[in-house]
Amino acid sequence: MRLYISSDMEGVAGVCAWEQVDARRRHPDFATFQRYYTAEVKSAIEGARAGGASDVLVNDSHGPMRNLLLDELPGNVRVIFGNRKPFSMVQDGDGGFDGAFFVGYHGAAGDADAVLCHTYTPSVIYEVRINGVRCSEATLNAGLLGHYRVPLLLVTGDRTTVEGVRAQMPWVGGVIVKQSIGNFAAASMTPAAAQRAILRGAEEAIRNAGGARPYRFEPPITLDVQLATAAQAHLVATIPGFERTSSRSIRFAHDDYPVVFKAFVATWRLGAMA
Amino acid sequence: MNLYISCDMEGTAGVCSWTQCDPSDAHEYPIFRRYMTREVRAAIDGARDGGVRAIVVNDSHWSMRNLLLDELPEDEDLHVISGAPKPWSMMQGVDAAIDAIFFTGYHAKAGDCATLSHTFSESIYSVAVNGTPCSEALLNAALAGSYGVPVVLITGDRTIVEEATRAMPWAVGVAVKDAIGFSSVNSLTPQAACEAIRAGAREAIGRIDRARPFCFEGPFELTIETASVEHAEFIELMPGFDRIGGRSVRFTSQEYPTLLQAFIAATRIAAAANPVA
Repeated sequence: MRLYISSDMEGVAGVCAWEQVDARRRHPDFATFQRYYTAEVKSAIEGARAGGASDVLVNDSHGPMRNLLLDELPGNVRVIFGNRKPFSMVQDGDGGFDGAFFVGYHGAAGDADAVLCHTYTPSVIYEVRINGVRCSEATLNAGLLGHYRVPLLLVTGDRTTVEGVRAQMPWVGGVIVKQSIGNFAAASMTPAAAQRAILRGAEEAIRNAGGARPYRFEPPITLDVQLATAAQAHLVATIPGFERTSSRSIRFAHDDYPVVFKAFVATWRLGAMA
Repeated sequence: MNLYISCDMEGTAGVCSWTQCDPSDAHEYPIFRRYMTREVRAAIDGARDGGVRAIVVNDSHWSMRNLLLDELPEDEDLHVISGAPKPWSMMQGVDAAIDAIFFTGYHAKAGDCATLSHTFSESIYSVAVNGTPCSEALLNAALAGSYGVPVVLITGDRTIVEEATRAMPWAVGVAVKDAIGFSSVNSLTPQAACEAIRAGAREAIGRIDRARPFCFEGPFELTIETASVEHAEFIELMPGFDRIGGRSVRFTSQEYPTLLQAFIAATRIAAAANPVA
């Protein structure tokens, strides 16, 4: 049983403000939440191992993507560390995995009662749809793993995020570590309680893996992105193959989901230049 | 007769430093944007001497709002395109309704032994179309060519003027300066440069019958070498680009405008890689 873990930070227990997860500006609180984040990932690994997972690959998928305190992880995992990966939060998902976990995930841009909700780049992405389905990061990322026949088995985060994922992928196990109160407040488990819940949820998710299915977008695949501003859409529309569908929206269609995924990455990278 | 002028700044007489061309500079830039404006004015006046009325000027340098508008002719047959970013950048607004193109203040391509040589962005190490190394002048001329529109005048440093007139022997070239190095020139004075540009513009309009569109032959292949690996990584994200090396990418198209727009998008997404990861 080979497991892929994509770990984000906004959905970690206790997190309710950008300062706690901002690795670049380094508010003093960041170091504390970096430990909570690492501990939740560690719990997911240990639970997975108890459930029968053997090889585990962890992709640090938050901000500069080099946040995990590596020496606090079990010694026998591999870690993807560092930024600007073409497949970003699901880099190397094509490595023959039997299942995937999303740990510390958060709601989509525009979700109500989802702490720090956003979709990749908060200042650029207003809404993303693929084949008409409104997508969170979890949806987009599960679609890439699904393309490689890897099913999502577990998601951890706030209630809105977990319920959102389970509405799209009912076979996914969920661990709700907090209830969001708007964008910047949450009623949360303590870190220790969240870690215990994640450990149990992870073990159970591996044991239930037989009922999981890859989440796939069927070709032809259409990406519709609403940008935050018309200036961003103006720039993004110059990407080859892109069509401007309104003043603040673009469309791209292709039969191959990895191409669509990379085109989405290009969208927020170029959009940020406007 | 509709004339289109794409005006850049680095190839203006006297320019020998980025500071002179940097809109955030409070000392040298205000002087050199005036020289740039006067050279554009000289090109307009020369075209008008030759009988042209309708003219579109596309401010094509940096923030693309350098021209001192009140120093241009006041008539209603002159239009100015200002501001950035524009999807077609230095060639915004060119289509088959244009009859001829002037390039003023143009400069040599990235890698040339010439003053302020570059191609669109410092993230571009070199760019080629169908294997031909390209300056901004050639890339832009080929867009006009795809609409059947010829370039008839190019002004700038001797390196770019000679390259452009080799590729487009029907065009009039006005070399306002010679490069000594990347940041030094042996230049005409602004006054002398303006006189030469006005005369060149008049001559260019006078022999427009000989002009032909400059075109590459399709299918078109764009190859870009980037300054660093990070630039190529970002460009590769865009649909249709293939990574052919650590610092090189390729894009192909049956349509030249598609190719040029892909190149412009590449320069912009590459710029996003410049801050440290």
